[in-house]
Amino acid sequence: MRVRRPEPHTLAGAYALDALDGPDQARFERHAARCQECTREVTGLREATARLAAAAAAQPPPALKEALRAETARTRQLPPVTRDSRAADRIRPPADARRLGARRLGARRLGARRLVLAVGGAAAVAAVTVWVTASPGPPGGQPAASQEIATVLTAPDAVTMTAQVRTGGTATIVMSHHDGMLVFTAAGLRQLPAARHYELWVIGPGRDRPAGRLPMLSHGMAGPVVAAGLRSGDRLGLTVETASGTRRPTTPMILELTL
Amino acid sequence: MSPPRRPWAEAPAGTDHADLAALLARVAIGDRAAFDAMYDRVAAPVFGTVRGVVRDPGLSEEVTQEVFVEVWRAASRFDASKGSPMAWVTTIAHRRAVDRVRSEQRSAARDRRAASPMIAYDEVAETVEDNLDRDRVRRCLGTLTDLQREAVTLAYYGGYTYREVAGLLRVPAGTVSTRMRDGLIRLRDCLGAGR
Repeated sequence: MRVRRPEPHTLAGAYALDALDGPDQARFERHAARCQECTREVTGLREATARLAAAAAAQPPPALKEALRAETARTRQLPPVTRDSRAADRIRPPADARRLGARRLGARRLGARRLVLAVGGAAAVAAVTVWVTASPGPPGGQPAASQEIATVLTAPDAVTMTAQVRTGGTATIVMSHHDGMLVFTAAGLRQLPAARHYELWVIGPGRDRPAGRLPMLSHGMAGPVVAAGLRSGDRLGLTVETASGTRRPTTPMILELTL
Repeated sequence: MSPPRRPWAEAPAGTDHADLAALLARVAIGDRAAFDAMYDRVAAPVFGTVRGVVRDPGLSEEVTQEVFVEVWRAASRFDASKGSPMAWVTTIAHRRAVDRVRSEQRSAARDRRAASPMIAYDEVAETVEDNLDRDRVRRCLGTLTDLQREAVTLAYYGGYTYREVAGLLRVPAGTVSTRMRDGLIRLRDCLGAGR
């Protein structure tokens, strides 16, 4: 018996519900590659399915989060998709989510506190673009120049370090030793009264110099700040300051690490 | 926290979407703290969705873990211009869950699944407690025709293909595919307009 095949466009709902497989799925994806309206429609319908997901919310066991910490520590991250990706990929979830069962593909065992940030040039630029467009503009504070961030992120020797801030929160530093530059960001920082701000310092032999005021985003997230001209043996520090333009730290370091 | 009052495209900075997008951007550059914060926000929708489709508790946890490793790996591929961050994550989750059950069609977990058309819809109420989204979604599902609602919920919560749904509901596959589309459009509009 011949199976009746619906018009490809009418499959947009089934596609958004992941209710197509095999030839049906391939057929719709071929159609969608030429049909911008379909792509747009699937995108919109997936906002509806996301609400179906939210309605089914159930807390996973706490152990899962711990297990993930270990798993992400040894899982290398992917570069972003590039502009010339095929149209079908635009409406798909990340291709690897479905085609590759191997979640450890490309995974490399790395020190837990020191991950090689192996991003290509396009990767870092796109990551920064996402960051810049996704982040709400920081009120009061100079956002670091995208170009400088990209320079650090694309450096072949870029490494990522994380460190706890004593008053709460975690700092993430991406650094290129070769270029003597780093990008500093933080999450989970304690909210400060309006008159105070977080200030980053480069602490070198015989001199401390301010590396910039940390722009605050929502929910204790802050940054990015770029620090340049770093030398071997320099340390990075964070304090809470009141006055702008302070030349040296006036309060105890709440974060200090050797670069 | 109240849900955003505008569609994603117009969501102002500072809403859940913008915050989640900012977190994902930080995850993309390897920020483990941002990953933890992101996990706290999306773990329940992800786990609930996966468990609905997969059913087996152990397997659900395994798939959920795979979903989050995937989110970690692919965070750089999230594109805010192509949908909300929540939709991006839940799409990965749902896809992985259905891929798993379809590749293990004969597993015990799959066989135990009931084939009653209404069960998926009813279970939304069972699995969810105190969930603001649930009431709104249930109300909007109620505005769909029976066939639209059954087609949408069997596919999403049950993980069935539209041809399987057609078999369960004893209607032609072509009818099911159009009802799924019409139903989702109506659902999307109801959820958007009712916020």
